[in-house]
Amino acid sequence: MPALRKKSTVERLDKASSYASSKNRRRNQNRRDGQREREPTPEDEKLKDATTLYVGNLSFYTTEEQIHELFSKCGEIKRLVMGLDRFQKTPCGFCFVEYYTHQDALDCMKYIGGTKLDERIIRSDLDEGFAEGRQYGRGKSGGQVRDEYRDEYDPGRGGYGRAIQEEESYAKEYE
Amino acid sequence: MKRAPASTASKNARVRQDTRCHSHTNSFQHSRHVEPSDVAERSSSPRRRRRYRSRSHERPLYPDYYRPYDSRRDLLRDHSNDPRVADLFQGITVEERNLSALVSSMTDMDVGSGDRYRGSGYRGGGNKRRRDDEDDYHYSPGGRGDRRGPQRRRYDDAPPRRRYEEPAHAKLRRTILNIASSTKLPQDEAIEIAEYLRDHFDEEDARGEFYDTLLQLIVEQPLKIPFVAAVVFYGNQAKIEIASEAIKLVGDRLQETFNAGQWKEFKLFLRFFACLQPLFEEDGIFALLEQLFDTVVDLQSANENDVVGIELVKIILLTIPYALVSGGSRYHEKAGELLSNTGIVAGNMLPMESLIHTYDNENEDKVIGYHSIIGILQQQLTRESENGWEIACIPKFDAEALQKKQSEDTLPTTPPTHAFPTFTIPSPVNPGSKPLFPEAYFSLFANHENGTVPKTDDIAASLIRDAIVDTIDQLDFNRDAAAKFLIELDSYWSLDTFAKRGTPFDKFREVVGDKVMYKSEDMIIDAIFSQLFKLPTADHKLVYYHALITSCCKLAPQAIAPSLGRAIRTIYQSLHVLDLELTYRFLDWFTHHLSNFEFRWRWAEWIGDLELSNLQPKKAFIIAALDKEIRLSFAKRIRSTLPQEMNELIPARLDEDNSPEFKYDNPVDVPYSAQAKELIQQLKKKAPAEEVQKTIDQIHDLANEQGVADVLIPSTDAFVTAICRLGAKSLAHVLSCIERGKDRLIEVAQTSEAARRQIVASVFGYWKDQPGVAVRIIDILLNYTILAPMTVIQWVLGENLGAGEGLAESWVYEIISITIAKVSSRNRQIVNSRVVKGLPQDMIDMVEATLSKDRDAARELFKYLEDVLRALAQGSTDRLMEKEMSGEISKEDGELIKAWGKRWHTVFVRKSAVEESVVGEQAVEARIRLLAAEPDPEPEAMDTEVANGDATEEVAVNGD
Repeated sequence: MPALRKKSTVERLDKASSYASSKNRRRNQNRRDGQREREPTPEDEKLKDATTLYVGNLSFYTTEEQIHELFSKCGEIKRLVMGLDRFQKTPCGFCFVEYYTHQDALDCMKYIGGTKLDERIIRSDLDEGFAEGRQYGRGKSGGQVRDEYRDEYDPGRGGYGRAIQEEESYAKEYE
Repeated sequence: MKRAPASTASKNARVRQDTRCHSHTNSFQHSRHVEPSDVAERSSSPRRRRRYRSRSHERPLYPDYYRPYDSRRDLLRDHSNDPRVADLFQGITVEERNLSALVSSMTDMDVGSGDRYRGSGYRGGGNKRRRDDEDDYHYSPGGRGDRRGPQRRRYDDAPPRRRYEEPAHAKLRRTILNIASSTKLPQDEAIEIAEYLRDHFDEEDARGEFYDTLLQLIVEQPLKIPFVAAVVFYGNQAKIEIASEAIKLVGDRLQETFNAGQWKEFKLFLRFFACLQPLFEEDGIFALLEQLFDTVVDLQSANENDVVGIELVKIILLTIPYALVSGGSRYHEKAGELLSNTGIVAGNMLPMESLIHTYDNENEDKVIGYHSIIGILQQQLTRESENGWEIACIPKFDAEALQKKQSEDTLPTTPPTHAFPTFTIPSPVNPGSKPLFPEAYFSLFANHENGTVPKTDDIAASLIRDAIVDTIDQLDFNRDAAAKFLIELDSYWSLDTFAKRGTPFDKFREVVGDKVMYKSEDMIIDAIFSQLFKLPTADHKLVYYHALITSCCKLAPQAIAPSLGRAIRTIYQSLHVLDLELTYRFLDWFTHHLSNFEFRWRWAEWIGDLELSNLQPKKAFIIAALDKEIRLSFAKRIRSTLPQEMNELIPARLDEDNSPEFKYDNPVDVPYSAQAKELIQQLKKKAPAEEVQKTIDQIHDLANEQGVADVLIPSTDAFVTAICRLGAKSLAHVLSCIERGKDRLIEVAQTSEAARRQIVASVFGYWKDQPGVAVRIIDILLNYTILAPMTVIQWVLGENLGAGEGLAESWVYEIISITIAKVSSRNRQIVNSRVVKGLPQDMIDMVEATLSKDRDAARELFKYLEDVLRALAQGSTDRLMEKEMSGEISKEDGELIKAWGKRWHTVFVRKSAVEESVVGEQAVEARIRLLAAEPDPEPEAMDTEVANGDATEEVAVNGD
């Protein structure tokens, strides 16, 4: 029944929302009449049987057990890799959840992405799969990049951004 | 003290927070129990930020014995081609900030608007916060190099954005998608669209878009079927090709969906035709309905347990009202005939039906008795036929509206009619990819005197329920969209069906007066719970319904929350008669739901139940709910949401957030402590097996001295407890510890039955205050096949159970149902791998041998379970009788244990019957026969497999 799987009447929540495909979407709006279907990009190809999810906006304090408790509602979990601060080796607010099937990962996008874990709205995105090294934050101080310059106080993610905290402590010294 | 995060500069950051958040003070004022600092406070708890091993390859994949037939089917599915279409959601923002209103109104009926903006504002304001939530992964603030601000969210693509004329195809799509969703009269909208389509019918692009959207709308937004049918109906008068093309396309789909056994889609396409009944020559759809009924007769006479026939009868009965509303009185007689025929099938009771009762049917406390869906439909339609087929709730259209509009310049002509598309019924009928079961009609509110939802004898009950359920099912890929359509439920039915949205329950009768009107929120909640509580299995992963309820609450907190609160209370009051499996679905939903709403619940109203025995279902529920909440959060946090009186239900030790104590640290009470500590050290430094064996031997020697019969028991206890202790930091840690001890554990498990059960006992012993962790560890051990399912069940329902008190503990049920689900899911996978076209004979032999062995093992498990549970239900176990004699267990508690036994027994008898019906010899043979009858091997075989895989997934996840 390929005809039935055509363009849905409402957006699907189980699509990868990577920067690449959002760029593609914009381009598509500009030539609406010509081509209705978006052709698959290399990113789509990589993700079409993805079983792994990137999960973001976790609290630093959220434990593996909590993640397990929530994410196993969508299927048995094959592997859970906590995102760690590159230097301290402590959780830094993201993780990879790997399921056994692509369908479980899609269901997770649909049913768990955008809901709360540990009282924070978490974000999920299809991921091409965990690779060694990706469990570490890529920010300058070891955590995630977004936690470097954040100028809002987020008690679940170490207060203000690290760079900003540093700035402040310099300022203190010169007072 | 182990260091918590945010250490550097956190002090001065805290100070800064105070000043920064000052501007939000107003929004804080209304907060009740939860201060943001409660959430922040956890930084004091050391356990929650453990250092991890630095290299991930030290952490093995979770073992996966129960997953042998991997995800081949996923390769077949490509979801990447659908572009996003968001123009349905104009101006809808799913905002979090209304949520505290929700939760408070779930508990208190009157909600001022004062606390609306509290939410989680402590993290800073509006857009900024949202961006942090959503875009941390790929979004780089400076990287986009433009000034458009945060990326647009999903729903704010308003349709005609630019000042240019909207192309015809876009306009057609937009208008038909939005039909019946605005303040315009749907009839006028339908006519407008039809006329616009007539004017642009020659543009291939526009025409194509229109029909694509039409077909998609029918299956994805079933509530709109009468309206899109109206477009085609008026289109027929505007330009006959509009209708003939639609009839042809839908006719093709009708045939395809029937051939594939896609009953839901088949029903919806059929409904579309029913709404077009006046366009057809002769009997139109009724001829097809009769044809379907003949098929039912064939199916039922061939097999008395046939469920496809039942599904078809349901479809026939649900189609009749739509056909009558559009076709008018000249079909009343036809409908009457059909109805008298379906009566026998609808009144028939299948053996399976006795197993899917939501409530204990014998008990007077039940919220609703058992009604089969087709039985209830038959009754409702019969009643309707006696009342002249009014069918008030289905929206009606004026057949002559278009002619009236045009009558100034043309004379009214008779609109052209069409032949009903030919339809052939394939033989054998494909039952579809999901196992079918009889369905019960469930309603929490139907028997309430306030009449907020239709009574069970009212056809509106079935019609509206059916449309809501289809909307839920078909839109599972966007829960927010599903929620939006549900909230707009009243727009899609005739004008006086519903009272104004959000009419409060206690004023409902007053507002509605003598009229028969329904409360849409109650119907929504009622319908969602009917799906969450669907037996034997729900159609989707249960978490979908959780998420859907959350979405509804976010969209319309003040309207939905009170209905939800009433649902919760109604269920809570009837927990003791509710099917046990459903009490756990309820528990799982309830706690997950609260975790999305700051864990707020008015526990105080249940304080009276704290005095009850722990064996009382209500008390057991409260205890289980707290445990579940803690698993999603942490003890201190949950404690902060509870009234004082409930404090003692959470062990104080859990606040520390330390690892559970190692019993061998206390050498006075526990023998072998020196060796156990040594084992920890050896595990830590990955000592060679011989060294470990020396320590184990010491334990054996000591045990021999003390006359222990099976010395493997104390040594296994020490070894497993040491693994638990060393792995207490996180699941990843315990996994790697198990990996180190794996060989020894497997060896032990093969040597001694008792030692094998000791593994289970030690895990649960170590994690006695957090059984959830133990359940996860047992799960891992099962996957490693260190433990056999039977071992787990024998320990849990044997040594562990005492006189049966354990039956009231939620983790006992959890571990048993996980174990059973694993076994069932594996068997289903084996069957799926058998039912594949073109399998070579040696593969067939191999698969069948495995199947037969594993199926027997599963039967043995079920038999064991049923025997144990029956004895418990009858109160005939020695231990219960002894304890009752000695007065250790009171008469009342003895009765409670028997009641638990009975409820347990029901669940596992059902599960056993369900598995028989899916993987039993008969079922498998039937599928093999069907496979053989399939004409074209490639696409069909693939399709079946994809969908079968889905069904298996559900068992695995919803198995509890």
